[in-house]
Amino acid sequence: MNRSLSDTNRPGAATDRSLAGGAAAFARAASIPLAAASACVIAWSVSVHLLEVPEYIIPSPAAVGSRLIGDPSYFAFHGMITLMESLGGFALGSAVAVAAAVAMAHARILERVIYPIALLVKVTPIVAVAPLFVIWFGLGSFPKVMIAALITFFPVMVNVFVGLKSVNPTTLDFFRLLDANRLQILLKLRAPSALPYLFAAFRIAVPLSVIGAVVGEWFTGDRGLGSVIIVAHHNIDTPTLFSAVAVLALIGLGLTGLTALAERRILFWHESHQGDPRI
Amino acid sequence: MTGVRADLKEYSEMRKMPEHGDDPTERGRPPAPHVSIRGLGHVYEEKGRKVRALSRIDLDIEHGEFVSVVGPSGCGKTTLLRIIGGLLSPALGVVRVGGSTPDDAKRRQSIGPVFQDSSLLPWRTVAGNVRLSIELRRNRVGKSDDREVDHLLEVVGLAGFRESYPYQLSGGMKQRVALARMLAVSPEVMLMDEPFGSLDEITRTNMGYELLRIWEQRPATVVFVTHSISEAVMMSDRVVVMSSRPGRLISTVEIDEPRPRERTIEQSKRLAEYASVIAGALQGAMDEPIAV
Repeated sequence: MNRSLSDTNRPGAATDRSLAGGAAAFARAASIPLAAASACVIAWSVSVHLLEVPEYIIPSPAAVGSRLIGDPSYFAFHGMITLMESLGGFALGSAVAVAAAVAMAHARILERVIYPIALLVKVTPIVAVAPLFVIWFGLGSFPKVMIAALITFFPVMVNVFVGLKSVNPTTLDFFRLLDANRLQILLKLRAPSALPYLFAAFRIAVPLSVIGAVVGEWFTGDRGLGSVIIVAHHNIDTPTLFSAVAVLALIGLGLTGLTALAERRILFWHESHQGDPRI
Repeated sequence: MTGVRADLKEYSEMRKMPEHGDDPTERGRPPAPHVSIRGLGHVYEEKGRKVRALSRIDLDIEHGEFVSVVGPSGCGKTTLLRIIGGLLSPALGVVRVGGSTPDDAKRRQSIGPVFQDSSLLPWRTVAGNVRLSIELRRNRVGKSDDREVDHLLEVVGLAGFRESYPYQLSGGMKQRVALARMLAVSPEVMLMDEPFGSLDEITRTNMGYELLRIWEQRPATVVFVTHSISEAVMMSDRVVVMSSRPGRLISTVEIDEPRPRERTIEQSKRLAEYASVIAGALQGAMDEPIAV
């Protein structure tokens, strides 16, 4: 967390909310990480050349770059499929998780019913369940979406459940003294109080959903970066494999960035977005 | 434990007493007090141990009266307030607010609270926080409600801050929002739990006079919990003094001073005398061994 990042959260300054202000702040904030990443790529390139590593073990960044640029539509097509499966699974998993968390917060009996099942789902390795999903849901994108949803579900549910319960006790007293009903308390107090927890969960769940989609693609189908990786692996086509990995990393970065951006827009009022967050 | 049993006995005797409003021959009598507390006792459990929080409290508060409750910390002042507000059912005794149970009074939405912690919603603007009171009363909020919100913000001196968020406000300003939010309820009973307790001395005194000015224009019954004797004396018609746990009422002091209260030297001197009387009573309560 960089100070210049958190400074853009102040809604008091109108310019900070404008796109130009955001872009300038982003450029400022991104310059150092970008420089660090570039340094890594250069070190990679230099060491591959100096040590004369064969391309089928580690290709040079130039080889990976030319593979990517040589066939951009190929990676765009498969990347898009993996991205859509991840997002679909993330949305589905999060929606079910939020519903389950609300149900659990609503009644203790539901907590006792839902939580053990959710825990069982969580502790079962996703890789072990993936083949089953293929048998159940066929060869298309649907089993991949389901696997991504499954892997997203637990962290979101647990966090939202805790968030719904973490309300300021005197604020709750205020609602009760004004005879607020349960729905009002849920919508106007508990749900907004849970938002910081929801976003904390999203930071974990978004990359997980990409993992889920890729794992699904490993097992069947001929589309998506997961299957690209499997095919490239069989052909010992390391540049393609690296390219697919790079696209996956870009997808992960993009999604994480979007989540952080949404969080800063929505949670500007939260303590975590005020002042210097360093301890 | 014998004390609890004694309370129980008192309670059963009290149940035989006719309650206000039940008796049709009551006409012609002086009006019933707005808040009436009889034989109130409260016990709560902490780590499997029973703790007596309140014991044998009798208190009547008239319509439009400003009553402060002072006492050492942990004496059950907040518990008393929560019981009057219907958030807590007392273990013993009867509480009536406007002739009905606190729960019914709460259901009539006639109670306006202010707490030490402003407990504003941090994701809402100042105006949004005040509007909350109206939203909780009825689900539809219209243009006229926005005007009401603006008016209330003017009353508490925050007209220029309607679109600010709580994190942008000072402690005193947050409490002003909490006051406006409470006023938006149009409460018959204002329950205040050390509303200015976390403010510095100067802000605290200013807010006290501000509250008095607002209250004089919008009469309501006030139960004001504080640990500041001078604040209690300055604001109240009557100050009741509680002992340390289990909290009992040990003294009542009428503050026979004209309103509106002013910051004159003469009045300050007289208020200081009241304050020393109350301080004496409190001192006595602390010295006395806690026997029931």
